[in-house]
Amino acid sequence: MIKVRSPQDLGAGILFLLFGLAGIFLGRDLDFGSARNMGPGYFPILISCFIVVIGAIVAGRAFLVEGPAIERVQFRPIFMLLVALAVFGFLISQIGVVLTSILMMIVAAYARPHVRIVETLIFAVCVAIFVAVVFVFGLNQPMPLWWNG
Amino acid sequence: MEMIDHLATGFAAAASWQNLLFCLIGVLLGTLIGVLPGIGPIPTLAILLPITFGLDPLSALIMMAGIYYGAQYGGSTTSILVNMPGEASSVVTCIEGHQMAKRGRAGSALATAALASFFAGCVGTVFLAGFGPLLSKIAQQFTSPDYFSLMVLGLVMAVVLAHGSVLKAVAMVLIGLLLGLVGTDVNTGLTRYTFDINGLWEGIDFLPLVLGLYGIVEIIRNLENPPAKRAPISTRLRDVWPTREEFRLAWPAALRGTGIGSVLGILPGGGAVLASFASYTVEKKITRQPERFGTGAIEGVAGPEAANNAAAQTSFIPLLTLGIPSNPVMAIMMGAMIIQGIQPGAAVMTARPELFWGMVASMWIGNLMLVIINLPLLGIWVKLLSVPYRFLYPAILLFCAVGVYSTSTEPFMMVLMMVFAVFGYILMKFGCEPAPLVLGFILGPLMETNLRRSLTLSRGDPMIFLDRPISAVLLAATLLMILLIVLPQFRKTREVAFQED
Repeated sequence: MIKVRSPQDLGAGILFLLFGLAGIFLGRDLDFGSARNMGPGYFPILISCFIVVIGAIVAGRAFLVEGPAIERVQFRPIFMLLVALAVFGFLISQIGVVLTSILMMIVAAYARPHVRIVETLIFAVCVAIFVAVVFVFGLNQPMPLWWNG
Repeated sequence: MEMIDHLATGFAAAASWQNLLFCLIGVLLGTLIGVLPGIGPIPTLAILLPITFGLDPLSALIMMAGIYYGAQYGGSTTSILVNMPGEASSVVTCIEGHQMAKRGRAGSALATAALASFFAGCVGTVFLAGFGPLLSKIAQQFTSPDYFSLMVLGLVMAVVLAHGSVLKAVAMVLIGLLLGLVGTDVNTGLTRYTFDINGLWEGIDFLPLVLGLYGIVEIIRNLENPPAKRAPISTRLRDVWPTREEFRLAWPAALRGTGIGSVLGILPGGGAVLASFASYTVEKKITRQPERFGTGAIEGVAGPEAANNAAAQTSFIPLLTLGIPSNPVMAIMMGAMIIQGIQPGAAVMTARPELFWGMVASMWIGNLMLVIINLPLLGIWVKLLSVPYRFLYPAILLFCAVGVYSTSTEPFMMVLMMVFAVFGYILMKFGCEPAPLVLGFILGPLMETNLRRSLTLSRGDPMIFLDRPISAVLLAATLLMILLIVLPQFRKTREVAFQED
């Protein structure tokens, strides 16, 4: 019977396989050329092929050699952090660095359970002021302070 | 003596008030961020890189170097006091340093780390001043095949040094190389793998990649598995000085560590991590009382700390003479230089001597500042360690975002960082380490260019890599490294070495 002995390796192997295949597929229109006159596709396709081979070996080995299990995925932290980054990316040019920073840090705080909102808010305001002072006034970085630029 | 003349030029350039100030700010900021648990030099440098953009090239590089030493020293402080290494090169310091702290010798461990680092920093600087010009003369002999083989060696070394499975590390290097090729092909002007996104025409930006893979994934890791609450061990300043007995044991170890670090730092793929592991292994081997190791042997602090600092200095040599970064930290340094309009390589030393020697001098100044400011400021760093993580991580996340936004106001950069955060998260779940990927990413375009040139020169004959003597030697060294990985004897040592963490 076939049994997965190393789930981490199986995952990694499949990931590599997909990555390598994508490299070959997306690079299919690039001119390969020859060794003496390499086209833009030569090096990327070569590397993609290597990745596919290693992916196959790693995935295959997962059925033979014991390895660690994959740790449980927790959706809350990664999801909230991504939302926080999206908030920053979308809002900074609209409402400026101060408000964006505060909003972002509040969203980020919800990546953990049991948020104490007052404490979080006070801290967020302090850090936002710090960032504004250091980056906008101290370092002259090109970012709007408020919504009117 | 020529070297002294050069160093004098360097000190004259580095010792302006302005540069001293930037060096000081760099060291302070680096320590400040580096002391935070779980943040090593790589994310620290990446987060702080944008603040150097407005400076002139020498000041910017001096500040970056200051940040690097500060971050490394901050990491050691955290290792000793809370047993939480920020990065691989502090792992070793954790082993003995934290045991010393538990026995009430935290102050002594910190002072030993600082003094050993300073001593190693001095020697490393002299090494850099002495070997830099020598190596840059050799570098002038380098042709495309030699560069290509050197990069192959560097990447193989990165694989050897990565934790866990060798095959996975090789795949990470290759994925890094492929990611490095995204963008416009320099030879033909065609775009590759850009999905018609404007933001990718000039390639994937370094900062979103590094901050996504390291900074954000690190936060997620800490949120998923909250580290056990470990109160920092209190220190009193008057306990700082090592006893006579401790000093007697520590100084030969620091001396050996400095030697090991200086040599290993120059190697492609080498650097602080390799050096501190090697030094610890040596100290454990040659001691007359092996039973003390693991319970707080001061040699196990002095040696590795000296080694990682010496290696931190000498790993600048390949970057400054050959233009090839030997590890991810140097890759960030290279990024900083390119942003300042400097192409790292042998030309820097001849075309802009004040820049090269100014940096060398500033390294020594930076090390001196570390010793002077860190011991008195210990109290502040310890306080910082007691800030709860629920406050720290939103701030770190914000700094990552602001850092990326400062380099490019394109919203796409934020998307790129999110993509790499997700990718890094998946890699973490599958047990793949990102360090080889980062190095491959930086070397990707360089490798392709040099491979292309070599094969054009030889009309497609791969034997050119063996005909050129420099290239042949480098490939022989590569083969040796591969044999070392494959041979069961060494394989075991490698596994044991990485089990210490």
